[in-house]
Amino acid sequence: MSQNNSAMKVVGQSIPRIDAPIKATGKARYTGDMKLPGMLYGKMLFSSVPHASIVRIDVSKALALPGVKDVIVGKDTPGIKFGNWRLFPATQDELPLAIDKVRFIGDAVAAVAAISQDIADEAIGLIEVEYAPLPAVYTIEDSLAAGAPLIHDENKELTNNISLDRKIDVGDVDAAFATADYVREDTVFVHAVSHAYMEPCAVLVEPDTEGRLTIWTSTQTPYIVQCLLASTLAIPENHVRVVKPYIGGGFGGKMELRPWDFCASLLARRTGRPVRFVLTRVEEFEVGRRRHGMKIRSKVAFKKDGTLIAKDFEAYLDGGAYNSMGPTATFLCGNFGAMLYRYPNYRYRGHHVYTNKPPAGAMRGFGAPQALYLSETQMNIAAEELGIDPIELRLKNAMVTGDVIEGVTRISSAGFVESLHKVAEMTNWKEKRASLAPNKGIGIGCYSFISGGVFNWFNTQYNFASCEIRAYSDGTAHLLTMAADIGQGSDTVLRQIMAQDLGLDPEQIRLTAADVTMTPKADLGTWGSRVTLMNGNAVLDATQKMRAELAKMVSLRFNLNVIHEVAFADGRVFAKAQPAKGISFGEAVTMWVKANRGEELVVRGHYTPRDLGLTSPAYSFGAQVAEVEVDPETGVVTVEKVSTAHDCGTVINPLAVEGQLEGAIQMGLGYALCEQFVMRDGKTLNTTFLDYKVPAAEDMPAIASAAIETYEPQGPLGAKEAGEGLAIPTAPAVSDAVWHATGYRCKDLPITPEKILRATGKL
Amino acid sequence: MSLPKFTYCEPKTLEEAALKLAEYDGRARIVAGGTDLLLGMRRGIAKPEVVISLARIAGANAIVASATELRIGAMATLAEVAQHPLVQQHFPALACAAAVTGTVQIRNMGTVVGNICNASPSADTATPLLIYDAKMIVVAPGGERTVALAEFFRGPGKTALTQGELVKEIVLKLPSGTTRSNYQKLSPRSKVDIAIVGVSALLAFSETGAIRRARIAIGSVAPVPKRALEAENMLEGCQLTPEVIAAVAAVAAKEAAPITDMRASEDYRRSMVAVLTRRALQQNQREQQ
Repeated sequence: MSQNNSAMKVVGQSIPRIDAPIKATGKARYTGDMKLPGMLYGKMLFSSVPHASIVRIDVSKALALPGVKDVIVGKDTPGIKFGNWRLFPATQDELPLAIDKVRFIGDAVAAVAAISQDIADEAIGLIEVEYAPLPAVYTIEDSLAAGAPLIHDENKELTNNISLDRKIDVGDVDAAFATADYVREDTVFVHAVSHAYMEPCAVLVEPDTEGRLTIWTSTQTPYIVQCLLASTLAIPENHVRVVKPYIGGGFGGKMELRPWDFCASLLARRTGRPVRFVLTRVEEFEVGRRRHGMKIRSKVAFKKDGTLIAKDFEAYLDGGAYNSMGPTATFLCGNFGAMLYRYPNYRYRGHHVYTNKPPAGAMRGFGAPQALYLSETQMNIAAEELGIDPIELRLKNAMVTGDVIEGVTRISSAGFVESLHKVAEMTNWKEKRASLAPNKGIGIGCYSFISGGVFNWFNTQYNFASCEIRAYSDGTAHLLTMAADIGQGSDTVLRQIMAQDLGLDPEQIRLTAADVTMTPKADLGTWGSRVTLMNGNAVLDATQKMRAELAKMVSLRFNLNVIHEVAFADGRVFAKAQPAKGISFGEAVTMWVKANRGEELVVRGHYTPRDLGLTSPAYSFGAQVAEVEVDPETGVVTVEKVSTAHDCGTVINPLAVEGQLEGAIQMGLGYALCEQFVMRDGKTLNTTFLDYKVPAAEDMPAIASAAIETYEPQGPLGAKEAGEGLAIPTAPAVSDAVWHATGYRCKDLPITPEKILRATGKL
Repeated sequence: MSLPKFTYCEPKTLEEAALKLAEYDGRARIVAGGTDLLLGMRRGIAKPEVVISLARIAGANAIVASATELRIGAMATLAEVAQHPLVQQHFPALACAAAVTGTVQIRNMGTVVGNICNASPSADTATPLLIYDAKMIVVAPGGERTVALAEFFRGPGKTALTQGELVKEIVLKLPSGTTRSNYQKLSPRSKVDIAIVGVSALLAFSETGAIRRARIAIGSVAPVPKRALEAENMLEGCQLTPEVIAAVAAVAAKEAAPITDMRASEDYRRSMVAVLTRRALQQNQREQQ
C-alpha cells in the first residue's frame, strides 16, 4: 500500500482523546441518559432457578397493574435462536426469551414495558412463574460426570455437556517427549471474573410506523446486533438501524445480541412506543457475561540447555449455560498456548463445557489470560528447576519475526526479544532476582496477542472493516466508519491515521462512527484488538484513493513531470521535490469537483485479511516485571511497581497506549489478587462493588513502561494492537513475584492472603 | 434499583427530630450522611416511610472541646473528625479509623455517629470509640440519657436505641497522663474496602512504665464490635514484654467469635486478631519509648 511521503506529524503524537472533555465534564450522552417522547421503561424478569422446565407463566397480574403497557414471554417471540457463530448454526443455542426451559439463574423469562421504571419494577414482581426443577451442575467435573443432566438435551448431536472441541496438532508431540531431558506437568484452575465496565448495559429502541427500528445500545458490535436482532425478530436487516452512542467500556462483555436488546425491540414494535432498558449493577453481576473459568493442564518438554521441544496442552472451559463467545475462546486458548515461544511440537485439546451458571463470554484477552497464566507460570517453574534465569530461558525460546506455527499462524513482526532485554534493564532484574530483602519478590510474565482475528465465524458477506471519506473545498473532510469506539480511543486514533495520510489537522476531520445504516458496511466491531489494524487499514485504503484523485489536480495545475511524487502535509497538496508547486487541500478538492462536473468527492476504503493463516494478521508482544512485598503475617500482597516493555508496532498515540497499559494493569491486578465471583448453587452472591472487589486508584502500583517499536507490515503505518494483550502478563508476573517473596506458587487464582498463609504454614 | 418513595423532612431542632421520629413510630429513619441508609433503601433492606434529616439542625456537626471532654455532634463527618486537631492529638485511633473508612466521597458525606448507629460489626470507628470509653448522648421527646458505647451495640444493625430515640452526640473524656492508642485495619482485597478485622488498643502508662490501664477492642469478628476484656485484664499492672504481648494477642484472638463469609474465613479472621492486636500493642510501645 502506498503511503503519503510527508514526515510523520500526527501519528506518534500524544493527542488527547477527542471524547475526553465531554466525558470528563459529564456531558457525554450515554444510552441511559436518553429519553424520547412517550418512552416506556423496560424491566427484565430473569430466572431465579438454575435449571428447570417452565410449567406455567402467568402475566395477568402484571398486565393489570396500571401503567403497564405490555408484557412479553417466550411464546410471544418467533423462538429463533442466536449466537455469534452463524457459520455453524448448531452453536447458536440461546433464545432471547426462554420458552420451555431455563438453564441458569439469569436466563431471560419475561419483559415488561411500563410508563415508569417504578411500575415496570413492580410489575416484574407480579409475574408468576412455575418451575419444575431439574438437577443442576456448577463445576466442570460435575458437568462431565456420568449421569450429569444434559443442559442442552434439545441438541441431539450432543451426548454430553461438551458443546464444542478444538484440536491443534503440530509435529509429533509424543516422539518429542521421548527425547526430552526435562518434563514438567502442571494443572491450574483460573477463575471467572467480571468485565466490571463502568456503564451497565442499556438499550433504547424507537419504532417507526412501518415497523422499522432505530436502536441505541451499549454495544461493541453494532453490526452484529443489527444482524442478530433482525434474525431473531424475523425482519429484514435493513429494518434495523443500530446507532452506537457513547459507551462506558465493554471489555468483551458487550459484543453479542443481549435479551434486553431483543425485548426492547419487540416491545417497541408491539406498543408503537420507544422503550428503554437500563440494567442495574446488581443485575450485571448476577446475569452478566464473565471471563471463562478454566481447568488447564500443560506438559512441556525441554532439552537440558533449556530448549523447548514440545508442549501438550489441554483446557476445559467452564462455559456456563450457553455458548456465548465460548467457541472463540476455546479456539484462541489453544492458539495462545502455542504463542510466545517456539514449540516445534504442539498439541492442544480444548473443550467447552456447559454448566448451570451465567454464560462466560469474551473478556479482554479472550482465552489468552488463562492459557498464558499457565504457560508463563510453567516457564518460571521450569527456569527454577533447570537452574536458568527466567529471562534467559525465555530468550532461548522466544518467537522472532518470520516464525511460523504450521496451520495456525505466521509472525510478521516480533519485538519480544527486545522487550525481554529492555524490561531486564529497566528493573535491574538480575540483581534483584538474585538478592532481595525478606518478603520482597520480583517476578516476570509475558504476552503475545492478536491484532484482530482472520476467522469469519460470524459469516459476514462484507469486508471486515470499511469506511468512507468525503472531502470538501473548505479544507475539511468527513470520515464515516462503523468502527465502534467504546472507550478504547479508536475515534481519536483513526482520525490521526487519516490526518497523517492526507496531511490534515485532525481537528479538520469530522467523524461519524457506527451508525449501521449510514456508515459503509461493514465492521465486525470492537473485539480481538482488531480496530486499529483493520479499520486503520480501511482508512488508509480510502486515503490512498483520495490522494490519487487529488494528486491528479496538482499534476494538472502545475503541469508536473510524471516522475514527481505528490505529497500531502500541513493542509497542502504539492510536488514533494518542489513544495512551491502546490495548492491547499481545499483548492484541490474544488478543482476535483469542478473537473467532475459537480460530483462530491467521496472515496471508500476496505480491509479484509486474506491468506494470513487461521488466526490474525499481526501479533503484539511484551514482557512485564512485577515487584511485590508480602506481609508474612497477614498474607497481604502490595504490588509496588510494574514495569512493562512491549511491542505494539508503530505507536500511533503514546498517551492512548499509556492509558491502555494502566487500565490493563488495574484489570490484571484484580484478576491476580482480588476479583472473583462468590457463588452458591448457581447464584452469584457478591453482586455489588462492595463485595466484588476491583482494585481502586489507591491500589495502583508505580508504573514504568517502554515501547519497543517494530514496523508491522500488515498494520496501518506499521501499527499493531495495544488493547488486550497488556491485560495478560500482570497475573503471571505478580504470581511469580509472590512465589519469589514467599515460596508459594499459585495454581488456583486468585492469590488471596489466606492461600498464601496456608501455603506458608501460617494458618 | 431505584429509591422507593418516602417523605423527607428537615427539622430545625433535635427535639423536633425526636418528636417526628416518635410520631412515625418505627416507620421513620434518621439520615445524616445517608451513605448507609440510601444503599439499604435501594436494596430494599430499609423501607422507611419518612426520612428525617439532621442537616438543618444548627450546630449538629460541631466538634467541641471543654477542659475535660470532646463532643462529636451527630452531623460531624468522618472527614471532619479525621482532620480535627484535638481528635488527632488525643484520640489518634479514631482519627486514623475515620480517615480510612470508605472512600474520600463517603468520608465527606458519612458521619461518625452514623457509622456507629448503623451498628455494622465492621464499622471502622467503633473499636476506637470503645477504647476511649465513648458515651452516646441519646435524645428522645422526653429528654436525654447517656449510654456507654460498650452497651450500645446489640447485634448486627441493632443498637440500644428505642423507638423515638436518636443520638445527639458522642462524648469522649480527654485523657489524663500518658496514653498511647492506635487503630489497626486489615482489608486485604483493596486499600479501599471494609475491614475484615479491626483492632484498637489503648495503653495508659504509669511513671514506672507499667500499664495503668488497657483497652483492646476488636471489630468484624463478632456480631458486635467489642472489647477483649480478658486480654485487657492481663495487661493491667504489667510491663510490656514480647512474651506479654504474644500472650495477650492470643487471648484477644480467643475472645473473637468470627464467621466465615464471602470476604474472609473464620480461621483467617481469628488468626488476624492476634496479629493486629500484637501490632497495636507494639506500636503503643514504640510510641511510648
